This record gives sequence, C-alpha cells and structure tokens, in this order.
Amino acid sequence: MKAIYAIASTTVGEAIRRKVLLVILLIGVLIVAIAPGLSVLSARQELTVLKSLTLGIIQMTSATIAIVLTVYLIPNEIERRTIYTILSKPVQRWQFLVGKYMGAVAALGLMMGLMTVTLLVVFFIMQRDQATMTTMLELAKVPMMYFIQMSLLAAVAVFFSTFVSPIVNFFMAGGTFVVGMMFSSVLETIKTNSELPQALKALATLIHSIIPNFQMFNVQNPVINSTSQIKGETLQYVNLGLYAVFYIAVLLIGGILIFDRKEV
Amino acid sequence: MKKRRTLQLGLLLALLFVQGFWVRAAVFPTWTKEYSEKKTTENIDNLTKIDPAQMLAALAGFREMIAGILWVRADAFFDEGNYDAILPIIRLVTILDPKQIDVYATGMWHIGYNFTDEESRSDRRYIPSALALGAEGARANDYTYELFFETGWIWYHKIDDDYEKAVDWFEQANDKIDIQPARRNLLGMAYQRAGKIDRAREYYYELLQEAQEVFDNDSRFHNLQNRDTLEQNHDNLLVRMAMRGHWAREGGFIDEFQYDTEPPFDVGFSAKVTVEEPKVITVEGTWNVRPVGTRVRFILRDKNMEFAKPAGMEWDSDERVELDPPKDVTFLQELLFVKNRRFTKRIDMSRDPTMYPFVQDDYVIEFYYNPRSSPPHMQDKFGFNGHGLTDKNYLNTDVREGQRVIFAQLEISRDQILRRGTWEIGRDTPSMQTKGYVERTASENKIGLIKLPGQLGEGVKPEEPTLLQSETHGAGPGPVSD
Repeated sequence: MKAIYAIASTTVGEAIRRKVLLVILLIGVLIVAIAPGLSVLSARQELTVLKSLTLGIIQMTSATIAIVLTVYLIPNEIERRTIYTILSKPVQRWQFLVGKYMGAVAALGLMMGLMTVTLLVVFFIMQRDQATMTTMLELAKVPMMYFIQMSLLAAVAVFFSTFVSPIVNFFMAGGTFVVGMMFSSVLETIKTNSELPQALKALATLIHSIIPNFQMFNVQNPVINSTSQIKGETLQYVNLGLYAVFYIAVLLIGGILIFDRKEV
Repeated sequence: MKKRRTLQLGLLLALLFVQGFWVRAAVFPTWTKEYSEKKTTENIDNLTKIDPAQMLAALAGFREMIAGILWVRADAFFDEGNYDAILPIIRLVTILDPKQIDVYATGMWHIGYNFTDEESRSDRRYIPSALALGAEGARANDYTYELFFETGWIWYHKIDDDYEKAVDWFEQANDKIDIQPARRNLLGMAYQRAGKIDRAREYYYELLQEAQEVFDNDSRFHNLQNRDTLEQNHDNLLVRMAMRGHWAREGGFIDEFQYDTEPPFDVGFSAKVTVEEPKVITVEGTWNVRPVGTRVRFILRDKNMEFAKPAGMEWDSDERVELDPPKDVTFLQELLFVKNRRFTKRIDMSRDPTMYPFVQDDYVIEFYYNPRSSPPHMQDKFGFNGHGLTDKNYLNTDVREGQRVIFAQLEISRDQILRRGTWEIGRDTPSMQTKGYVERTASENKIGLIKLPGQLGEGVKPEEPTLLQSETHGAGPGPVSD
C-alpha cells in the first residue's frame, strides 16, 4: 500500500507540472468563468444555456485531461527508462500500475475540483438571491458524476496504454468514450428498425453490454431543466458508483495481466 | 502457463458480461427513465434525417448552447425572408433542446402560417407538421400550458373548423397551473364553436366566480378588467342563447315564440368556376346575405388525396414532423369574400408550381360554409349550429355531425385546369357551375363599394328578400322555410 501511495503521489506531482494539462485546465476554467456573458443567446433560457454550457465545458475539458494524462503514464516511464529504477525496488508490477492509475485519478480530481469550484462561484454570483446550499449541491452533483465517468475513462486509457503507443491510445480511448456516450442512443435506433436482421440487433446489444456505458453518468438533464422529480436518486448514484468501481477493477486487472507479461 | 492465461482471460470476459447484464437489467433503465432527455427515442428517430456531425453535436454536452446559437441564426434568416432555411433549424433546435418552448411555439406558427403562394394563401400541406411539432413540444414540456395552448390555437384559428380538437388542447392547457387568466377565457369561445353552448355558459360562469374572488382579494386594475371581460362574455352568451332560441329548441317550444334563427334563411348559394388560363381560375357565385362578413371556403384538391375529408383534411393524420410537405399533392384553400350578395375571386396558381403541382388526373372543387366559424352578427341569424340557415340545393347535415352547413362539390380534370387537349386556349373554355347558378347582371358590382344595408346602390333593386329584411323581429316569416 505504501508503494502504491508513493507512486500515486509522484504521479500527481508530475501531472501538475505538465504544461499541456495546465493549459487545457486554464482554458476550461476561463470559459466557465466567462460563460455568463454568452447566456444572451437564448431568451427565457439564460440559466438553462448557462448550465448546459458550463457543465459541457467541464465534461469536455475533463475528458481531454483524463486521456492526455493517462495515455503517457506507462509509455513515458518506459521511454525514460525510469521504470527500471522503480521495478528494481520492492515494487510489484501491479502496484506500479495501480499507483499510476490512482495518481492520475487524484490529479484529475484536483483539476475537476478547481473547475467545479469556479462553476459554483459563477452561479453563486449570478443567483445571489436564489442561491442556497441545496441548489449549489444539486449543481455540484453533476461534476461529481463526471469525475466518476472520467475515472472510468482513465482506466480505459491505462488499460490500452499497456499494449499500444500513446497516439494510438489517444484515439482508442477517445473513440471508446465517444462510442460509450452515444451507443445507447444508437442501440435504441437499431432496436426499433424493423428492417435490420435479428443477428445485427443481437450484436449491437452485445456491444452495448461490453463497452463501458459512459452516457449513464450524464445526469445533467434534470439539473439543466429542473422540471421533474427524480425517483430513487441515491440508489441510482450508488449503482453508478459500484458499476464504475467494478468496471475499473476489470480494466485494471486486464491491464495488470498484460503488463505482467510485457517486456520492458 | 498457457492454460492459466486462458483461464484468467476467460474470467475477465465473464466479469465483463456480468457487469453488462447488471447494467442492462438495473442501472441503465433507471437512467433512461429519470436522467435522459425526455422522448429520446422520438428525437433519435428524427435524427435519422440529420447528418452525422449534427447527430454527434446532439449527443455531446452542449445541446442547449448549440440550440441557442442556431436559434439566433434562424432569427437572422427570418429577417432576410429566407423562410425555407429556418425549417431545418427549428427541427434541429427542438431535437437538441426539447425544452425550448419558444422555438416550438414560433416554429409551429412559422410552419403553419408563413409558407404561402404568391397571393399569400397558406400552404396547408404544412399544417399536419405544425400540429405534430406542437404535440411533440407539448409532450416534452407537459409541465406548462404553453404548447398545449399554442397547438389548440392552430386548431382554433388556422384550421378554423374542427373545434372539438381545439377544445381538447385548450382543456389540457387549462389543467396546468401556470395558465394565464386571459388564455383560459378562450376555451369558452372554443366550447361555443364546438357546439357545446351550455358547457360554454357554465365555464364562463365558473371563471367569473373565480375572477370575482380574485378581485375581492386584490382589487388591482387587471383583476377588475378580467372580471369585467368575463362578465361581458357571460352576459353576451346568455343574450345570444336566448335570442337564437337555444333553450327554446332544447325545450321543444321553438315554434311558440319568435327567435332570430327562425325561420331558417335561404342563403341562395350557387357558384361557377371558369378556367381562364392554365392554372388560373375565376370563382364566382351568389350568396343572398347582404351584411358584410361572409367568407365561403373554397377548396381545390386532388380527388384521391390521402386523409382528405369534405371541405378539409384529417389535419392531425401525421404524427411526424416533416420538413417537406408531400410534393405531389395539390391542396388549395381560399376564402371567398361576399360583397353585395356575390363573390368573385381570380385565383392564379401558375406562379407556384411546387405548391400546386397538379400531378393527378382528377380534382375536386368544394364550397363550404360553416356558421360556427362565422362572426357573431351572422350567427345571430344562422344560430350556433346553423339552425337558422338553409339552402334549397346545398344545405348539408352529413359532412359535419350535428351542424347545418352549406357544402357543394364539383369535379374538374387536370386537362381542364392546365388547358390541354380539347381545352386548349382558343377552343372550349372549361367552366362548371352548381345547380341554380345565376349569372351576374351587367349592373352588378360595377363599382367596388360595399353596399351596406339601407344604402342600396343606384340601379340595384333587391330582387328577393334578403337577410336584412328577415332580421327584423316580428316581421313575419322569412323568405324560404326549411
């Protein structure tokens, strides 16, 4: 556990020093901060547009950070040969991989936390009269679910990073994210299309069951358009959290199995 | 070693399937129900007509923002008069953000009203799409009255015939807590036009009671104004019910007293249609009612048109929002304004080939007058449901259940409309007329002034009694009895 913690804390330090990540983060924070100036784009929908835009920015920035941060985790260590120094110490390969992943998630959490704080400050200033602890927590719930979503995305990228190059990994992890965000909707279309053969529908269902369902973590709609009551909200969030932990565990175990056999 | 590896990979795969089963059985259904955009499937169906880049945008995290930008762009197109460009934007914006009530409402209005021919006649082939858009918007925003009301308004004002549908939508709007008092009043008019006169009176009374209570608690001017409006509506309706013999007819004593609607007045309808040039017709006819305010509906449509019904169509036949109306359908609807007991209208369809494609061989011409759509001073004579209306040739009690309307139908061929074959220019002129058509005399309508009752023009004598004469209470029986 000590080894994992040491690797994780080093990874956090490295992440914070990486300029490319800081630039992405800065852009995200700036857009969230200036977003109220763009809300004139829709009459009667200012708040809706503002919530949609800022949450969208947080999600997109976080996804970019999650991928850019993790695709280089393992390959950089191999390229710089620092992995030999680490593995020559009493550190198991699985500990190295898990530590790297934990560090990446912690760094991601710090960056997303900064964006979330900016978001809350912006909304607090905008809605000074109506802002309550409840409304702020309601809003903060969405980035929290995004954080779980991005932790899952980071696990996908770590898994791929054990056997592909960073550039290929960037597209593979990004592609998995896009597919995971869209496939549920596509599946609905496929299911209702009576002209498609059953075998194709079964294949689509199989893919839908295996690919991580990133779309489920998008819980922003009731927050953006707060006209409906959510039933069983806590249970849903617990379920989503467990799902993410389960899937991350599967991906990390898969990554460890591959990394164990990898010649470095 | 190899066996162990296979076992490990098999276990991983099994775990993947376990999570897949769990997600599909428990987690995803809840997310779909509680967190996804409402009517996702409906919107995704609509997405099949949009290019993949738009689809990606629709599912990314910026739907509302993109929708807002697009709607600003649509506004610019509107200012430029580029109406066709607005349609796909309306569709895209409502797909991206189904909560944009204004876009639905404006979109319905735009689709229903703004597509016209060169003579400003609406392209009614768009109306099913306008209604479908309203219905979709109402489903997606069922917490507010707005789109229920707007959809009802299309039925009430634009279609101006199937008032039962308007009542249905207005009643749904009425059930929403955010409906404004002034909007609620319109349901009373819709009840009247739907023939539910007693319900209209009850409804006005209920509203009046409520408005009185509101005013008692808060005596600001707008509450007083609402109360007074309702009182006037209620009083007007009571007077009209009495004078038009509503209770007498229900009670079976209509013959015992004199009422404005008794005896029924013969409107002396007749009409003639002449094809002057290819796709240019002149419609003229008689209507023995001198007071201004009569508009006879004229329809020229494909004979075998899908969803056609007498003097209209099944307007809500299509539940999908189609950006393009059926290109091979011809459906023209016009109102013929009666002036000095005649109507004349030249209709030029030649400049709008996409709106009037004339691809079928046979067409139907319909004339229709429904007292329910008439202004109140006409209804005073004709009654709420046409009891005070008759015509020796074209009174019809079948095409609209429970109503007495004027309905006439003629047939015309494509060759006649396009002046082809034996109907070429210089040969026979296609002309068709209803029973009892009376050609205009040379002195009639020489000048365009409307001759008001009591100010008959020089040289024009009333050859037969008119509505003006039969309107006088106690003046004896009208010109033609039913």
